[in-house]
Amino acid sequence: MHGRVKVRTTEEERERKKKEQVLKMRAYRAAMTRIQKKRSLSELDDEMLGLTVQILLRNPDINTLWNIRRECVLRKIAELEKTIKENETRDIQKVEEHSEGDKKTDDEKEVDKKEVLAQQLQSIYKTELELTEQCLMVNPKSYNSWHHRCWTLEQNPEADWQREVQLCNKYLKYDERNFHTWDYRRYVSEKASVPPEQELDFCTDKIKVNFSNYSSWHHRSLLLPTLYPNEQQDRPMSEHKLKEELEMVLTAAFTDPNDSSAWFYQRWLLGSGRQSEQSATVAAFRCWPYKAQLSLKSSYPELSQLTVQLVSEQQTLQLQPWKAVNSEKTQWQCEQVIEIEPSRDYFLDVAGQRKQLAVNPNDQSLYYFVPPHATSSCSKELLAELQTQLQSCLDLLEYEPDSKWTLLTSALLMRAIDVNSYHEQSLSHLAKLVQVDALRQGYYKDLSARWTMEMALAKWPTSSNYPQLFEMPTEMSMTPYAHYLIVADKISS
Amino acid sequence: MSDDLPEEFDLIVIGTGFVESCVAAAASRIGKNVLHIDANDYYGDVWSSFSLEAFIKLLEQPSNSLRNGSYTWHKSTEQEEQPVTSWTRESLLEKSRRFSLDLSPRVAYCAGSLVQLLIQSNICRYAEFRSLDHVCMLYNEELVSVPCSRSDVFNTKTLTMVEKRLLMKFLTACNDYGEDKCNEDSLAFRGRTFLEYLQAQRVTEKIANCVMQAIAMCDANTSFETGMQRTQRFLGSLGRYGNTPFLFPMYGCGELPQCFCRLCAVYGGIYCLKRSVDDINWTDSELLVSSAGKTLRAKHLVCAPSQLPATLATHFGESEPRISRGLFITSKPLGNEELNKGGGGVNLLRLLAANGEREACLIQLSHYSGACPEGLYILHLTTPAISADPAADLADFAAQLFETHASQILLSAYFTIAAPAAEGIANADTPILCTAGPAYEQDYDAAIENARQIFSQLYANEEFLPRAPDPEEIVVDGEDPSALNEHSLPDDLRAQLQDLEQAAQHMDIAD
Repeated sequence: MHGRVKVRTTEEERERKKKEQVLKMRAYRAAMTRIQKKRSLSELDDEMLGLTVQILLRNPDINTLWNIRRECVLRKIAELEKTIKENETRDIQKVEEHSEGDKKTDDEKEVDKKEVLAQQLQSIYKTELELTEQCLMVNPKSYNSWHHRCWTLEQNPEADWQREVQLCNKYLKYDERNFHTWDYRRYVSEKASVPPEQELDFCTDKIKVNFSNYSSWHHRSLLLPTLYPNEQQDRPMSEHKLKEELEMVLTAAFTDPNDSSAWFYQRWLLGSGRQSEQSATVAAFRCWPYKAQLSLKSSYPELSQLTVQLVSEQQTLQLQPWKAVNSEKTQWQCEQVIEIEPSRDYFLDVAGQRKQLAVNPNDQSLYYFVPPHATSSCSKELLAELQTQLQSCLDLLEYEPDSKWTLLTSALLMRAIDVNSYHEQSLSHLAKLVQVDALRQGYYKDLSARWTMEMALAKWPTSSNYPQLFEMPTEMSMTPYAHYLIVADKISS
Repeated sequence: MSDDLPEEFDLIVIGTGFVESCVAAAASRIGKNVLHIDANDYYGDVWSSFSLEAFIKLLEQPSNSLRNGSYTWHKSTEQEEQPVTSWTRESLLEKSRRFSLDLSPRVAYCAGSLVQLLIQSNICRYAEFRSLDHVCMLYNEELVSVPCSRSDVFNTKTLTMVEKRLLMKFLTACNDYGEDKCNEDSLAFRGRTFLEYLQAQRVTEKIANCVMQAIAMCDANTSFETGMQRTQRFLGSLGRYGNTPFLFPMYGCGELPQCFCRLCAVYGGIYCLKRSVDDINWTDSELLVSSAGKTLRAKHLVCAPSQLPATLATHFGESEPRISRGLFITSKPLGNEELNKGGGGVNLLRLLAANGEREACLIQLSHYSGACPEGLYILHLTTPAISADPAADLADFAAQLFETHASQILLSAYFTIAAPAAEGIANADTPILCTAGPAYEQDYDAAIENARQIFSQLYANEEFLPRAPDPEEIVVDGEDPSALNEHSLPDDLRAQLQDLEQAAQHMDIAD
């Protein structure tokens, strides 16, 4: 037909694609064969670099090729450095040989030469950086490319870290959720000593664009404690900032309650700021004439490494060795003859922490006990914010009584405000959650058991049966905080 | 006048407005021999955009389709401490060609019929758009941005936390409407109004305003089904391009008819501007068009109502005012800084008057739209005509805009776009198919539907604007279509292949 546009049929197109595929395959095979041959001959030269580029640009995830490149680069650098050294030795010789008059011009030449060599060195690094940049365009989540980039920068003492931060800005504009880029950003912004304030602003911008971003929330959580430190260390950051953060994250959660990233960040905010405790904190201790038992708040790898002493005015007794009683390594036992004189005042000393011990009237054993999770106090301002948030949640529950995240959050808020007065209500939320979110009922039941047990343990020291008898609050299939109960003679259910 | 224009065509299209251009492109695309002419010396007819000077000239010369034109230059009354640039009539006219003033401005839904058609036909390669910056509403006489996307809702300071949740919940419910799970809740509202449904959702007044004014674009009488449909249309267009569900064509809406004309020309359509038609006659098998002393023959003829020869115009009914338009050039954008980041937003605002019985659409264009110089703003105000006095029709709306919001209007202009009342296309007495003029609507739904209908009437079993191939998909005469053309490979791969083949010549390679 004249004057009509003819377009390839799908059949023809497929055949073309197939031919293209074959061509590409041949090219790949040829290059790989050549690379392997060259490497076996240890020809780590420019040609080798050229060959790997061609393949890496198509598939940046062949780690072997990146390794070969590193070998090439190291060799090139070594050769350059050798030249520099040779020049220097020659330089010294020349100085010795030449008279004062000639020295100046030689110096100038020498400086030029040095500069040229330094430039050559930089251009080696630059080539590698450019290649990884191109590869990351092909696959922004290529572990190998990111790794090679880090490696190259580490090799270069004059690396331009500021430029790397800019690169992160650019990449995060394309994809604000690429965790590779966020990881890399943390790495380079530390090297470039970017002020944390600036990083925080950057995070905030990204959250504004799209708050479904675990990476960005995480980055915040790393920056805030250093930027706004909390003096008592019972909150992740200063109360003033915490208030702002809570407001922001709850807004996100209300905008889209199905997005879990915001809720997880909120849980972190509402949690106690203490990071995993390095030292062993004593939760409970009991000591009879023939053995001692020690319970820690959190697990400790090997208690025998610490100095545990029973101290009285008259003597100091080393307790040793300790054996873990449970698999969590929170409860320990030491079988040793211990002389106890009930009329004396005894102290327990664990790596410098000193606790006064009391005497059990029943069997004259010594004991120490502190309930888990003493409520952290908060300022009026923060309390008001928490209360506003709780009210918002409760308002929302009127509209959406079955909203799972709202139920859980309001329970957490209640406990952050006042564990005691909200105890029953927060448990009722968990009970409701078991119904509306049955897939996670085990989790809610477990949480409920913990809270119940925490409450019972907190009340225990004021009860008349303390410390002989502990009454289990409800029937529980598993007992959280069981290791706190070494102090009790009897546990009734 | 002598020219070497052929004299026989499958189809002659008179007028280069949006609908006519659509039909011309569709016919040319399926291999019809098309002549497309226009009496004007520009493309687009009443769908065109003009430079400032040309626009003023146009207002001074009333035509069948554009009438009641008037304009006023305003003295800058601004008494600011530091006038950055004070614009005058002269300085504006000096930049006349930097303006692209639309007669029929529209915004397009990101997933609406125009965008779909442009993509489906591959005409999008000729078009360029700007995503609207804000969809606004008037709330307590204040201009506020309506949160469109999830991140808008998150960032807005105008809603409380609970309101945010309620708005998101409501929108999600609308979005899921029609899927089985939601039918139960909404069944009760069939046949009732959308407003009733909205009220039953216990949303706050502010949210109800957002939804009614800007998202569903409803009035109190809009039915539940229509309201739902409109809300879904809005939501369905979110998240495709930019932050709002709307696009505005860069350099004005006058670009769009030209995109279709271009496709028509690519497929062999012939174009002839400044060519008016004196008369049209017909026999049983063909139409005879007398134009500039020549008789052109065609199997079919499509004509814009504004360009019908006087002798035939009566067949299609008197032209009546359809749309009342106001156009303002100002040196200050509407609304606060938030709505006009970086020197002005391209914003949309729907206005209501007479207890919500009448509505108007305002489009604010900044230099980001390519339609005016930096520092100036075009405000397009459009409402369905209720009289032959556009200024009176728009008075209520203009008052809402300019009385409570400080503005620096430099030029205000009013005009009416007229078309025959009949929305229909054919007239039984003639074989001429007449297009409908611009109607008051968002997007181009009615216009595209009009073009589609005309096309199917002409070529019943043919596809309307199928995808046009990209140049690289086209096979040159005599070429083996399945051959792998080296030139079709990307440059770098080609170079790479050559390199490697050279390197591989001396090696054993297992295929």
